[in-house]
Amino acid sequence: METVLPEVTAVGVIIKAVIILAVISAIAGFGTYIERKVLAFMQRRLGPMHVGPYGLLQLIADGIKLFTKEDIIPAHANKFIFAIAPAITAATAFIALSAVPVFPDFTIPEFIPLLGGTFVPSIASDVNIGILFVLGMMAAGLYGPLLAGMAQANKWGLLGSARTAVQFLSYEVVTGLSILAPIMIVGSLSFVDFNDYQNEHIWLVVYQPVAFVLFLIAGFAETNRTPFDILEHEAEIVSGYATEYSGMRWGMFFIGEYANMITIGVIASVVFLGGYSDFFFIPAWIMIILKVAFFFFFMLWVRAAWPHIRPDQLMWLCWKVLMPLAVVNIIITAVVMMAMA
Amino acid sequence: MSLEQFKDRNVGVQNYRQLDLPQSPTTAMCKVKQVAKRSLKGELFVGLGVTVREMVSTLFGKGLHTTQYPFEKLPISPRYRAIHEMLRLLESGNYRCIGCGLCEKICISNCISMETRYDENQRKEVSAYTINFGRCIFCGYCAEVCPELAIVHGGRYETASEQRASFSLFEDMLTPIDQLSLQQEYQGFGAVSPNADDNIKKTPLAY
Amino acid sequence: MSDITVKINSQECKAQEGEYILNVARANGIFIPAICYLTRCSPTLACRICLVEADGKQVYACNAKVKNGMNIETVTENILKERRAIMEVYDVNHPLQCGVCDQSGSCELQNYTLELGVDSQTYSIADTVRESKNWSSVLHYDAGLCIVCERCVTVCKDMIGDSAIKTTARGGEALDKSYKDTMPKDAYAMWNKLQKSVIAPSNGTEQTNCSDCGECVAVCPVGALVSRDFVYTTNAWELNRIPATCAHCSSGCHIYYETKPTSISNREEKIYRVTNEWNYMSLCGAGRFGYDFENTNVSKDEKAFALAIEAFKKAQTIRFNATITNEEALMLQTLKEKLGVKLVNDEVRAFQKFLNAYSDASGKSLYGSDFKELMNSDFIISVGSILRKDNPNARYVFNNVQKMNKGAGLYFHPIGDTVIPTFGKSVETFNHKVGLEEAVCYLILDLFAPKDKLSDEVKDYIESFKDGDTNGLVELLGKDSAKFKASFDKMMGKKSSFGLMVGEDFFYHEKSENLAKLIALIEEVTPLNIAFIPPKSNALGVSLICELDDEATGYTIGYNENGDFKLSALGDGNLDIPALNQQEGTLTNMNKKVVPTNSALEYNGYELNDIMKALFDVPRLAIDWTAYLPVDKGFMSHEFDSLPNHYTNAGVELRGYSLVKFTREANEIKVDRFDEKAILEGDIVCRANPQRQFSDFTDKAHQINEAFGLYVSDAKSKSIGTSKAEISFGDERLILDVMVDDRMEGDIVALPDFQSKHNVYGLFGTSRYKIVTIKGV
Ligand code: SF4
Ligand code: SF4
Ligand code: SF4
Ligand code: SF4
Ligand code: SF4
Ligand code: FES
Repeated sequence: METVLPEVTAVGVIIKAVIILAVISAIAGFGTYIERKVLAFMQRRLGPMHVGPYGLLQLIADGIKLFTKEDIIPAHANKFIFAIAPAITAATAFIALSAVPVFPDFTIPEFIPLLGGTFVPSIASDVNIGILFVLGMMAAGLYGPLLAGMAQANKWGLLGSARTAVQFLSYEVVTGLSILAPIMIVGSLSFVDFNDYQNEHIWLVVYQPVAFVLFLIAGFAETNRTPFDILEHEAEIVSGYATEYSGMRWGMFFIGEYANMITIGVIASVVFLGGYSDFFFIPAWIMIILKVAFFFFFMLWVRAAWPHIRPDQLMWLCWKVLMPLAVVNIIITAVVMMAMA
Repeated sequence: MSLEQFKDRNVGVQNYRQLDLPQSPTTAMCKVKQVAKRSLKGELFVGLGVTVREMVSTLFGKGLHTTQYPFEKLPISPRYRAIHEMLRLLESGNYRCIGCGLCEKICISNCISMETRYDENQRKEVSAYTINFGRCIFCGYCAEVCPELAIVHGGRYETASEQRASFSLFEDMLTPIDQLSLQQEYQGFGAVSPNADDNIKKTPLAY
Repeated sequence: MSDITVKINSQECKAQEGEYILNVARANGIFIPAICYLTRCSPTLACRICLVEADGKQVYACNAKVKNGMNIETVTENILKERRAIMEVYDVNHPLQCGVCDQSGSCELQNYTLELGVDSQTYSIADTVRESKNWSSVLHYDAGLCIVCERCVTVCKDMIGDSAIKTTARGGEALDKSYKDTMPKDAYAMWNKLQKSVIAPSNGTEQTNCSDCGECVAVCPVGALVSRDFVYTTNAWELNRIPATCAHCSSGCHIYYETKPTSISNREEKIYRVTNEWNYMSLCGAGRFGYDFENTNVSKDEKAFALAIEAFKKAQTIRFNATITNEEALMLQTLKEKLGVKLVNDEVRAFQKFLNAYSDASGKSLYGSDFKELMNSDFIISVGSILRKDNPNARYVFNNVQKMNKGAGLYFHPIGDTVIPTFGKSVETFNHKVGLEEAVCYLILDLFAPKDKLSDEVKDYIESFKDGDTNGLVELLGKDSAKFKASFDKMMGKKSSFGLMVGEDFFYHEKSENLAKLIALIEEVTPLNIAFIPPKSNALGVSLICELDDEATGYTIGYNENGDFKLSALGDGNLDIPALNQQEGTLTNMNKKVVPTNSALEYNGYELNDIMKALFDVPRLAIDWTAYLPVDKGFMSHEFDSLPNHYTNAGVELRGYSLVKFTREANEIKVDRFDEKAILEGDIVCRANPQRQFSDFTDKAHQINEAFGLYVSDAKSKSIGTSKAEISFGDERLILDVMVDDRMEGDIVALPDFQSKHNVYGLFGTSRYKIVTIKGV
């Protein structure tokens, strides 16, 4: 199927950007509720129960709390950097989402006034090097924690940012290498092409199981999730890069983290699990929601089940296990492709 | 006595068991083998399996461990010594306290005071009774000494209040008359022992 | 009486011939259980628990006298069996109500039940309904608790003399015959009696109509007799016992104020009751129930204090009374010496004069005997005192001599009394005319003085009344001399010690000086031991410490009395001072002892010593004055805190110290003849208080309710005919309620002086009797 380039208008992009921003931050917020609930059930607890039915409005209570909390900037902090660091995390997370196709393209139904009949491409901007862009953006996100930790004049923060640098840089390598093999297969850097390829062939996970696993593992590290949340490991370094943050600035780190989780979820679905294509009778948009939701849930599940690992184990795993595996995978893929061709 | 024995002299029966920990791998090959073994053994999935199992069972209401505290309370042991209660006689609804003053006497914090008087029915009436909970150490002596099982420790452990006096009057401690049927017989400190009958000698009665 | 030795449980004990085994054992710290015995009363043998073995024979320790060399075992197997059976019997049908009982914790039934290890019951009998009753305004009797030990009956008869209660039939079932053979003997006998009796007023009504002394309450070993005010108000163990001295009359009895916080919300101490060492001394109703006379809610009123200082600076007279400590009296005397004020004390002045006249005549600073000694005599004479009203302890002594010493007694007083003759069979009462007190003395001289010891003048004067077999003195005093001679001869049989108590009539008398000389003469020439009954609380102390003046002049300060500036412990004066239950100090009682009293209740105001401190450089505390009481008057320089105030187990009174008596050579005592024309005729009023009332302080106590009124005999009340009477002393008139005292006889009426606001002393002047006109209104 030929890619139909949508009519790119400035207004359409802005509208889409705002919608993505609103929806994803809402989902990110809601994610915290889901996380608490899931963890609670896995630990035979109930989780939040008292604000709203089943604690549903806990999110709002938390929001109010974060917004109204005193905004503290430590005396010796570098105020400017301290102030913008959370924004970097949040912004990069959302910017990355701009090149990720969240939904299949669709036409707004006729009966809706004004917009009825308008064709809406699912992506804010289908950059043809989409994957590179997204990976690059997520890598840029590392400046958030890094700067935050260094700006706050706190040794836990400093340790946190050191760990940030080490962890993110290392795992960037694994992410990139692991996704190289699928790129080689599809021959494009556009997510839409990935989707379409799998629509025609079979899910890439079948061809590339190793790459899938490596990508997932690296994704945990990129999103700073257990078992790789050594950046702010409470038991070791208080709260790492976020030690001195409170209120909404602190909240922004979290919105960024949850947005990243969704991004990783979407990338994994689109690159490996067939993206937003129909699956038998299940419509495409439901499929993508289910897939992303599964990845989201999986991250929580892992958090409930597995322990943290030590920073040295982290590095060991990255450089001695994952990276070689990724390289071997690429080589094998290349050899097989050459043979097939 | 050896040093080891000396150090352990206060420790109970010593039946500790040494775990057979395997040797750490020495050669590089051994290490690789260990990694492979551990990675492929799927132990990680066992963990995932456990958590998901718990989640499912919790979702279906089994094995839930949360008590929603202010709304739900767990039953407390009868031997727990919380704020006192004054019980009533089940048949007549009169309060049990006869005003003997033994609790007042035995209280080691000296925090019980009472006033008694000769009432219209020629009986001893407890006209006022109070425990100073600022001083009470909840030792339970009063409950133990009470010959009528009138003063007992209740299960009311939430004792934060704006005023210490909030619990301390006779009326505050007395079983409300409309809740007489809910009154529980005290099982705790000073209650009648189950074999009390065996220890009592009978007094002959001439009628 | 001679010292002997006996062996109790192989312990050598010194004893006196004629003592009871029980008392010897107690004095030597050997325990013999005993319930029904009271030390100064006759054994009743009601409980039989004091069983011991003396020289191999079972006897009752409270009733058997020691003999030289006696061997006594207090515990044998059989005795233990008896005792345990006795306690089991006492516990039969005894209500299980220790929890509420007032006696719990100090109950002898509880104690002995435990002591003898009664943990099961072998005997039983159907119970009888026994109701609790109120016998008087103070007595509450719960027959259900009564173990019929008869202590109450005994004390009322042998000590108090009212004999107001007795055992009566209970109406219970008879004991099962089979017990007689199966039970220990004494236990059966005890039970047999117990099962048949309870206690009831002896006049056959529901009311005792007695002196309301409460001594029966004190002696009751269980919770059967309790004062109505005290019933169920507290437990004995909650009370603080404060040893003190009763301040109401000159007996100065040893008491314990028992205090506890007033209520849960009011933590100030309150006196709940007064108790005493009932084995060794007895209280009257005023002492036992008149305890709440404290001056309450007093704080330091600086303005009033400044005014008081001013008042003292310009005072010319201080008027006070006998309800005052020795220390305060010494302060007032100091004021007299330093400021030259006059000291006026109506209650004491006459007594002081009498005492001085007596000293001048006899050469002795104090009367020779005291009431403890008189209690051991077997012939007792009372002159000039309304025994029942003036001084309860003098009356107990008079009664006890009759009951315990097989004694005899002569009672001389113008006012007839129905109780005194019931004290004993050998009591002769003379209701003579007012004014014949000297004749009484001459009669005593005639009866008791060996003729060779009297001067010719006195001998001749006495002889001049005799005409053959008739003794004019006896006739003059209102008795048939032949009959009297016969009974007097009988009374004198086997008597060895004699006592004479001299009362208030003699002090308030036109001829008090001559009476004092006569008394001195009697003391010198007859075998009679003599003791005075000082008129009010500390009259003896005040009369020794203060130089009193006759007349008040100028600006007067009243110390618990009326005056231009009034210091009062009753709360009605210009400046508050502490009442006697709120201060420490010493009192001098009629046994010539200086005894300490303690403060039972808090007092936060000023006291006399504060005024002294503001005026002069004087000791810091009122009790610092104790060591400075005048040594030349017989006091000793002991610190207050060194004075003991208790009784030992052997009954030895360790209280304060005894006044020292000085003697000097005296001239021959010259006595005057008496004038028969001095007899008062007509409507006569006597200054006398009802029982249990002595002063404003007793009046303030809530359990003392004898009212201020005209006390008359039954017959007199009929002749007055109305419930109110007007009594006129020349110009002064009083209209008073007529109160019938059914134990008074004759036409003389009694006007109380316990309310100082009526200024009764002013009406009577220096005499105790006045001719007045009384008419019903
Ligand atoms: S629990 Fe102990 S301290 Fe508290 S009132 Fe009872 S006896 Fe006194
Ligand atoms: S011990 Fe029991 S019966 Fe006695 S006063 Fe205390 S509460 Fe009342
Ligand atoms: S009299 Fe003594 S034994 Fe009887 S109920 Fe009272 S305390 Fe108990
Ligand atoms: S109160 Fe005194 S006089 Fe009256 S019955 Fe008792 S002991 Fe006797
Ligand atoms: S009332 Fe008391 S003193 Fe009198 S007989 Fe009964 S128990 Fe004894
Ligand atoms: S004390 Fe001797 S018989 Fe009672």
